[in-house]
Amino acid sequence: MSAVTADVSDDRGGRAASGPAGGGFAGAFASEWTKLWTLRTPYVCLLVGLVVTSVFTFYYGSIARINDKPVQPVGNASVSSVVLTQFALVILAMTTVTSEYATSSVRTSLLWVPVRARVQLAKALLSALVGFVTAMVWAVLGIALAWVPFRGHAEFELPKVAYQAVAMGVYAALICVLTVGVSFALRTAAGAMAMVFFLVTALPGMLVGLGGPVLLAVNDYLPQTAGGYFMLGDGKAPFPDAVSLLILLVWAVAAQVAGLLVLRRRDA
Amino acid sequence: MITLRELTKRYGETVAVDGLTLDVKGGLVTGFLGPNGAGKSTTMRMILGLDHPSGGEALIGGRPYSSMRHPVREVGALLDAKALHPARSARSHLVAQARSNGIPVSRVDEVLEMVGLAKVARRSAGAFSLGMHQRLGVAGALLGDPQVLVFDEPVNGLDPDGVRWVRELVRSLAAEGRTVFLSSHLMSEMQLTADRLVIIGRGKLLADTPMADLLAGSALSSVRVRTPDMADLHTLTRHLLKDGDVRVETPAAGELVVRGRSSEQVGDLAHGLGLRLHELRTVAASLEEVYMELTARSVEYGTGDPLPDGPRSGQTRGAEA
Repeated sequence: MSAVTADVSDDRGGRAASGPAGGGFAGAFASEWTKLWTLRTPYVCLLVGLVVTSVFTFYYGSIARINDKPVQPVGNASVSSVVLTQFALVILAMTTVTSEYATSSVRTSLLWVPVRARVQLAKALLSALVGFVTAMVWAVLGIALAWVPFRGHAEFELPKVAYQAVAMGVYAALICVLTVGVSFALRTAAGAMAMVFFLVTALPGMLVGLGGPVLLAVNDYLPQTAGGYFMLGDGKAPFPDAVSLLILLVWAVAAQVAGLLVLRRRDA
Repeated sequence: MITLRELTKRYGETVAVDGLTLDVKGGLVTGFLGPNGAGKSTTMRMILGLDHPSGGEALIGGRPYSSMRHPVREVGALLDAKALHPARSARSHLVAQARSNGIPVSRVDEVLEMVGLAKVARRSAGAFSLGMHQRLGVAGALLGDPQVLVFDEPVNGLDPDGVRWVRELVRSLAAEGRTVFLSSHLMSEMQLTADRLVIIGRGKLLADTPMADLLAGSALSSVRVRTPDMADLHTLTRHLLKDGDVRVETPAAGELVVRGRSSEQVGDLAHGLGLRLHELRTVAASLEEVYMELTARSVEYGTGDPLPDGPRSGQTRGAEA
């Protein structure tokens, strides 16, 4: 106790160099990390995603064989499952923000880390990290599970598999970053979920359903569509994979900026 | 030290905090009083960087809260004890707080022990009673061993034991030279706890003064006189009432309560008249009475009756205190 007192009084005026360690962005991230894993929600999200990945990829392989589809990269099974499993990660990322608004504990968080951009960045980075690692694990799991039912209707090339697994991780990470931004902008779980679902899933469905060159072109620039091109990496996209990635990045950054504008301006 | 300079908060047309300028000094417990909606919580939130001032500034140790790299080590704050995730355990909550400011996790167990929550530390905070929430909030405020403490209604929901514990804790923190800024609605408790008082009404500063001065200077302070002789009592009353600014009441036979004169003045008068007195003492007004007197005029939808003639004024409640 007294050691801390000494630290505090010695720190007056002087900044990080002579002051106590910790705090700052590293502290904010460590705090967010602790908060995430001391609730049940993330474990449930990861488990649900794991189950959905397993079922989806197994069926994907089976159906490709039953319908006698042409040979495709085995990783396509995992990539296709992302349309569903991404929402496990969206909910995980969203609740890191919206559960704090629902319980008023966001005020407590801002007392611990009063620099608002730092809180948001810590949550975004944490969600991105969890999304990246998790989606890669799901990708590998999906490939393993789909391989058997494919029975020769898929090919296994290590560079392609590695690309698709990493691309899935990157896509999931950026969707998480987008979700955190939207959640800070809208603050409620219902609002954030509706917005992310509309943007990521409903809108592409509508545009494709309505059809026409303009709507389909617009669709190419939506996060899930561009993300799909990026993860499949089969050269059938209207633009290079790097551009697809860039489109995803722009969406994620735009959502973060929107979230930060609200977070900084409003009273907590 | 907490420094407010022309601190102002507007919500559209409404001015919640209106040009507040004051210093909250170290080594003292400074009580923060005001009716509901007077702007107390808004002021505290602005001090802690949660609300943005519309004008002026709030500094702690000369710096805004949001510029501190380790705010938890410099300022301990308890605003809303329930502002935490109910599913997280008390200990995990504090561990997350400790990590945010580079405080060793061993300190978490120390403060949990200190506030008496060590046994329930791994239970989810949502199952806590209001009193346990307050204790957890206090634990969070003490976690970084800060020099400045800001408590909003810390005794709210505590049992008498807990109230006393907070009082002694707060007094000992101030005795160590720390700055303690504390709001409460419990006047009797505040009278026992605070050295200095800041009273606001409708966002404006009504008083910023040592507790003793506030009570002694109040028009509600009175002098109690007791005499065995009813004739003497009448004589004294008659002489006292010669001046218009003195008010006299007779709460019981042979007793007189005088307002507007000091005990020295009453004593000298009785001596001059050759009257026999059995009792002559000053009865300081209670904080509650002084507070009501001060804020009566500032309560937006109050009865508008400045207290002195109210039902309480005849009673010398301060006599027991």
